[in-house]
Formats: sequence, structure tokens, C-alpha cells
Amino acid sequence: MEPADRLKHKCSENDGYNISGATKLCVTVSSLQKLFLLIPLFLLLYLFSSCTPVSCIEETTAFVKVSFYKSVTRKLTAPDSLTIFGTGMETNKLYDKGFRVQPALLPLNSATNNCGYIIIINGITDTLAFTYSSYPHLISKECGYSFYHTIDTTLTFSRNDIDSIKIMKRNITTINEENIRIYY
Amino acid sequence: MKRTFVYIISLFLISAAGLVKAQDTILFPLKIKAGIELSGPVIYFTNKSNLSAEGYLSVDINEKTALVLAAGYLDYKYSQYNYNYLNKGIFLRVGTDINLRKPEVFSDKYWAGIGIRYGLSIFSSETPSFKEENYWGTIYSSVSPSTSSAHFLEVTPGLRTEIFKNFSIGWSVSLRLLLYNSSEKNTRPIYIPGFGRGDKSLSTGIGYFMVWSIPYKKIKYFVKPEAPEIPVEPATPAIKTQ
Repeated sequence: MEPADRLKHKCSENDGYNISGATKLCVTVSSLQKLFLLIPLFLLLYLFSSCTPVSCIEETTAFVKVSFYKSVTRKLTAPDSLTIFGTGMETNKLYDKGFRVQPALLPLNSATNNCGYIIIINGITDTLAFTYSSYPHLISKECGYSFYHTIDTTLTFSRNDIDSIKIMKRNITTINEENIRIYY
Repeated sequence: MKRTFVYIISLFLISAAGLVKAQDTILFPLKIKAGIELSGPVIYFTNKSNLSAEGYLSVDINEKTALVLAAGYLDYKYSQYNYNYLNKGIFLRVGTDINLRKPEVFSDKYWAGIGIRYGLSIFSSETPSFKEENYWGTIYSSVSPSTSSAHFLEVTPGLRTEIFKNFSIGWSVSLRLLLYNSSEKNTRPIYIPGFGRGDKSLSTGIGYFMVWSIPYKKIKYFVKPEAPEIPVEPATPAIKTQ
């Protein structure tokens, strides 16, 4: 038997067909088997890629984003000095005589449905209190959960330096958008 | 006139006979296949917190197409420094497998093709505990169990080869598109059984399958002869004219 015939015969036996182009069949199958040898490599790569821990790079705290406006000009103007701390948290200040802070980021207390802040704008003290409802929100698999809030339509505040407050967005999320405007 | 008609008919019959002679016929066995996915149980032995089991049944309609019904179960647990998460559910996939290779090249023992599926997942997920830290302190809370469903489309190209009689192994990669998820927006699932990550609308996967085949019918497949090659004559040198 000629070598070419032997190859053809072997392939025909293997596949149960007696068709022309049997040599082509052998070549193709050999390539396919090589592909199967690569499977464990693919699988290992996939396992390693899926097991690699990815760190949390997103913002996880839902802040009330507060912008400051001059009441006379109605223009966005950051105060020269800004101090903010929570009611009963005098020793832990969020901003301590901060220079031209814009916007100020105020976290809400998720354990309760209200919380208050002391806001000192250019040396004049005011108070601001929020009432809200909170609900859990999944940030991502890497970051886990945070509480989002919906603030009530009415805010309680003193008017020493603050002229008025306007609510822009009631939903307090991790999205970077203006929630309230303080006119002073 | 009669003579002309007989001549045309004879010519047609002769050419038809010539065509039939030029074609090879193979008997292609149609099969019912039952397969199980292996990587899920293998991963379970290394990581007991996640169990994924999946199997499928397919029926060949012809040498190119098969109808597929797949079903699976997932028990998924995830834990990191600020939360724990549990998800349990079942999923179904229905669709078709399309053989992209010609039987005369690959025979019935080898399959290379693409699967298209519609998937449905029904699952229950919960977050028994999570922690939030901010200016006001650390708060511990939880998300109670809820049952949801998700619908998705899947495209899954792959390969199979027979290693013993009627017994094949193979693998496929999957690209899935989430169509709908009934979960609440704020507490969407971290993982959807049969789909993958719940916080993404696209997911990928890889499956390694062991398949048992039962031939149930043989169909005739006509192999079209290759077109004869037309020999190209060497170009004649251009004749220069003065």
C-alpha cells in the first residue's frame, strides 16, 4: 500500500467514512486536537482572572452636596472661612476654617432619620437640620453597600448669616450633583 | 419535432446522471446528546462556598442544527470585609447549536460551532450583614431575602471532540447580554445564576463539557464535489512592434 493510501485508509477507519479528501480530514482533526490541549491553559487563565481581588475605587458615601451662593448677587461664591461639624460632634470637625470650600460634603446619619450641623460661615454661626429616610444601596461587588437617603422637602435652619436654602435634588446618592444651595 | 424532444430529454438525463456520479453520499447520524458542565464541580472542590451545576440535552434536527435545553443550579456565597452575600437559584437556557463545519470535513465526531440561547434565571438573594462607616460612626445592617428573575441572551462558540464511542468532551466560551432583571434597583444581585455578575449588563464565561451521545437516526448527506482547478497558462511575452 502506498503511503498516501495508508493515510487515507487510516483516516477512513477512524471516521467511518469513505470519502474523497480523507487526507484533509486528518490534518483538520489534528489541529482540533491541538486546540483541546490548550483548554487547561484557558481554564487556568480564567480561574486566575476571576479570583484576582479587585479593590473598591468608587465613592461609597452618599453626601449632601452643599453649594454656597451670595444672597445679594445670587452668584456661586465660596465663603472665605467655613467650619462645619455635626451637632454634639464639636471635637470632630468636617471643615475647620476651610478656605473657599465649594461644595461642602455633609454625610447623614443612617442610624437615625434626622441629624443636624453647625455651620460657621465667615465667623457667624448657623444651624441646619435634615430629616430624611435611608435605604441600602449596592455600590458594586468590590465596594459593597452604602445608605442612600431622601431628604424631606422642609429643612430647619437658623438665619444668622444664612438668608435662605433651596433644595435642588432630594435624593442623596454618590452621584456628583448639587443637592442644596445655601444663600448667605 | 419528436426527435428533438427525445434528444433534449436524453441530454438532461445524461447530465443528471453525471451530477449524481460526481457527488459522494455519507450517512450522517443524528444524535440526542446529554452533557454536563465540569468546571463548576471542579471549582467547588477548591472553593466550597460556590456550587454551580449545569447540564443540557440537545437533539440534532439535521447535520447543521440542534435544539438545546440546558438547566442548572447555583449556590453562591460571597464575603468581604464590609458585607456578606448569599444567592441561590436555578436557570434555564433554550436555543440552538449551529454546526459551522461541513460533515465531510469534520464527520459527526467533531463539532465546531456556535450556540445561541435565551436564558431565564430565578433566584433568591440576601445580604445577611453589611457595614457602613462614615462621619457619624459605624452602622451594621442587612438586606432581607428576596426572589427575583432575570432574562438574558447568550452566544456561545465552542468545540467538541469524541474521545470514546459516543462520548465527547469539549469547551465553549460564552458572551451574555442581560435583557431584564426584576430585582430592586438599589439592591440588585451581585451574581445572577446562569448569567454572571449582576451589576454588569454583559458577562463572559467558559464551560468545559462532557457529553454522552445516542444516535437515533441516520440521514443522507450529499458531498458537493470541489470545482476542478483551471490550469493557468504561462503569459506569452509581448511582441514588440517597431
